[in-house]
Amino acid sequence: MKRPGLWIGSLIVGSVLIVALLAPQLAPNDPYRSGVEMLDLPSTRHLLGTDDLGRDILSRVIHGARISLAIGFGAALVGMAIGVPIGLIAGYFRGRLDFVLVSLIDLFIALPGLVLALIITVMVGPSVRNLVLVLGFVMWPAIARLVRGQTLAVRETVFVEAARAVGGSQNWIIRHHVWPSVLPVVAAQFAISVSFAIFTSASLSFLGLGIPPPAADWGGMVRSGYDYLAINPLMSLAPGAAVTFTVMGFYVIGASFK
Amino acid sequence: MAWELGRRQAFTGIAAGLLLGSTAHAETPQTGGTLNVGLASDAKTYDPIYSVQFTERHVLYLVFNTLVKYAPDFSIQPELAASWETSPDGKRIIFVLQQGVTFHDGTKFDAEAVKWNIDRRLDPAVNSPQRELLAPVIASVEVLDPYRVAFNLTNPSPAIFSLLGERPGFMVSPTAWQKLGKEFATQPVGTGAFVLKEWVRGSQVTLEKNPNYWQKGLPYLDRIVVRDLAGSIVGVQRLLTGEVDYVGELTASDVRPIESKPEIALKPIKVGRWYFLQWHVNAPPFDNAKLRQAFAHAIDRKRLNEITMRGQGYISDSPTPEGLWWYDPAVKSYDYDPPKAKALLAEAGYPNGFEYQLSTPQVAIFQQINQLLQEQLAAVGIKVTLQPVASSEWYARVVDGTTNMTPTRWTQRADPDGLMYILFDSKGFANTMKYRSDKVDALLEEARITYDVAKRKQLYGAAQQQIVTDLPMVPLIFGAEYAALRSNVRGFEWIPDQIPRFREVWKARS
Repeated sequence: MKRPGLWIGSLIVGSVLIVALLAPQLAPNDPYRSGVEMLDLPSTRHLLGTDDLGRDILSRVIHGARISLAIGFGAALVGMAIGVPIGLIAGYFRGRLDFVLVSLIDLFIALPGLVLALIITVMVGPSVRNLVLVLGFVMWPAIARLVRGQTLAVRETVFVEAARAVGGSQNWIIRHHVWPSVLPVVAAQFAISVSFAIFTSASLSFLGLGIPPPAADWGGMVRSGYDYLAINPLMSLAPGAAVTFTVMGFYVIGASFK
Repeated sequence: MAWELGRRQAFTGIAAGLLLGSTAHAETPQTGGTLNVGLASDAKTYDPIYSVQFTERHVLYLVFNTLVKYAPDFSIQPELAASWETSPDGKRIIFVLQQGVTFHDGTKFDAEAVKWNIDRRLDPAVNSPQRELLAPVIASVEVLDPYRVAFNLTNPSPAIFSLLGERPGFMVSPTAWQKLGKEFATQPVGTGAFVLKEWVRGSQVTLEKNPNYWQKGLPYLDRIVVRDLAGSIVGVQRLLTGEVDYVGELTASDVRPIESKPEIALKPIKVGRWYFLQWHVNAPPFDNAKLRQAFAHAIDRKRLNEITMRGQGYISDSPTPEGLWWYDPAVKSYDYDPPKAKALLAEAGYPNGFEYQLSTPQVAIFQQINQLLQEQLAAVGIKVTLQPVASSEWYARVVDGTTNMTPTRWTQRADPDGLMYILFDSKGFANTMKYRSDKVDALLEEARITYDVAKRKQLYGAAQQQIVTDLPMVPLIFGAEYAALRSNVRGFEWIPDQIPRFREVWKARS
């Protein structure tokens, strides 16, 4: 197999995607319906047991896939939307513009992602929209730097020199030579960004700054289940495993490109 | 005659205490042994004059006695004060003190010591946090003779008795306090059943039996060690191994792993914290009575109790739970009636539904209650979005008015005036609902200067019914909390202030 990572990763991501898309059909119970059988261990009616409000854990984990993927993809897109153009411009046009942009990128890279996300979320308040924007904002510098590096590399190649000699416009060169070269890097980084976004949003939820209840968000579920580990550990372990599984899948895809 | 009233009360108190005592100790107490208490301590000082933290009182009630003490229904019983008499105008109370009591350092306990203690609390130079509580009530304290001391009050104030059963009532040795100064915080000297031998901060407090304790026969234990715990989950583990004999502040879920174990005995607290939903009633939208009633009818308190407290709590119809002497079973809140809720919602002017934000502090019980409320309200067309707020910020925002609708909870106070005044009187400092009812104000003002228990009960009953009808808040439940003890620990009984009392506890050896 040429790229085993790509296959394994795709398998994992594919299954999570299917679960997310078909959540209402796959989930055996209503994920938001409370019940009086709180913290029950697994049974035929509740394959993973119930949480502290009597809700079916399996159904909540299944529905959690939707939120996680939405945040993951959303944040990655935001990060790309900011980072790719900045990286391209900095790398291709160089000069003073590049200098300013690089300084900006370095400034933000110096700040640890989770801490920055934490601080901003505390200020703006947690919601799906805010999380997508905040995480995208936290991720764009790394993306920009990567794109810039790749752009720089392509810029000096023979093809581009030739194109310039022949009289091709900047735009044409960027579109036909630089971009195709940068694209694989962007695709890999996209997958890794999704992975990072899902993991960070779960961490934020675990710290109490994520999607508020009653949302069936994996990180939030791990947090709520923490007090009840002695009674039904699946309340934390099941969503935790889901996060791990999903994050690994995306990461492995991204890493396989390198 | 009014002068006689106090003495009668005192004698009834003593009789009740003896009766209670005799039924509680149906077996013969055995002396000896060490009690290991697990506690998530936040203690900063064991000087009662400066004490503020909740867990400090656990040790204070062992090292010190109070002038009066609380019975399990918060009625007042004698302790260092053997009896008392109230003047006809209610502004002078003469306490007759126990004789033959000495502090751990040998100093005699007498009227001079009582006066010294109260004066310290009132002295601005000492800067005790209790000064704010006592200064408006106590004008002066007079020594009449070695065992009689008179309190001159600025206004008649039955609440003074409940104050003298907690922090302001802990009697400190004047000699030791003056000699030790700041060191008194770690070497407290009182008249209590136990002497504080050693305090290793962050680790444990060791208390030894006071051999000269004035209540003959007490204490039964030789030693009590209060061990610091990181949290209730750790406490339960340590209880199972026998490392500790007592763990408190356990929720209904915490006790699940231990409830059927024969070596563990659970002690549910009968008077739990009061949970209610509150809002601003002086401005739209919640100034609309029909809207508030719609909410009240939509909420299923039985289900809240079943799910969050595993059915071990109690439904709240009023601010007062059963078990306190001012509980009135006739006071009832709005019942669970979703069709009626929908109808009222339409009458209130919201035929197509109503939306609002519900503040959700990041504390497990509030998150659970709010999610259940959200579900129940949605069924009648009320959509609430849960707005998370850090628990450290939450109450500050309620106080400054930024937060409108929020759940909240309060511990019961020893005097009915305690909670009801601060929450529901228009001048109450904790009245964040901005509730104002002239009728309730008048009832509360009268009740706080009346000494007659029966009359007070009647007044508080009327006030509570009015409050519950007006809905400045929707009463929800009284929480279930537990202490868990090893089964060989006997004689433990809860007082509604949620501070465990260990003075009369003993360990069975068989």
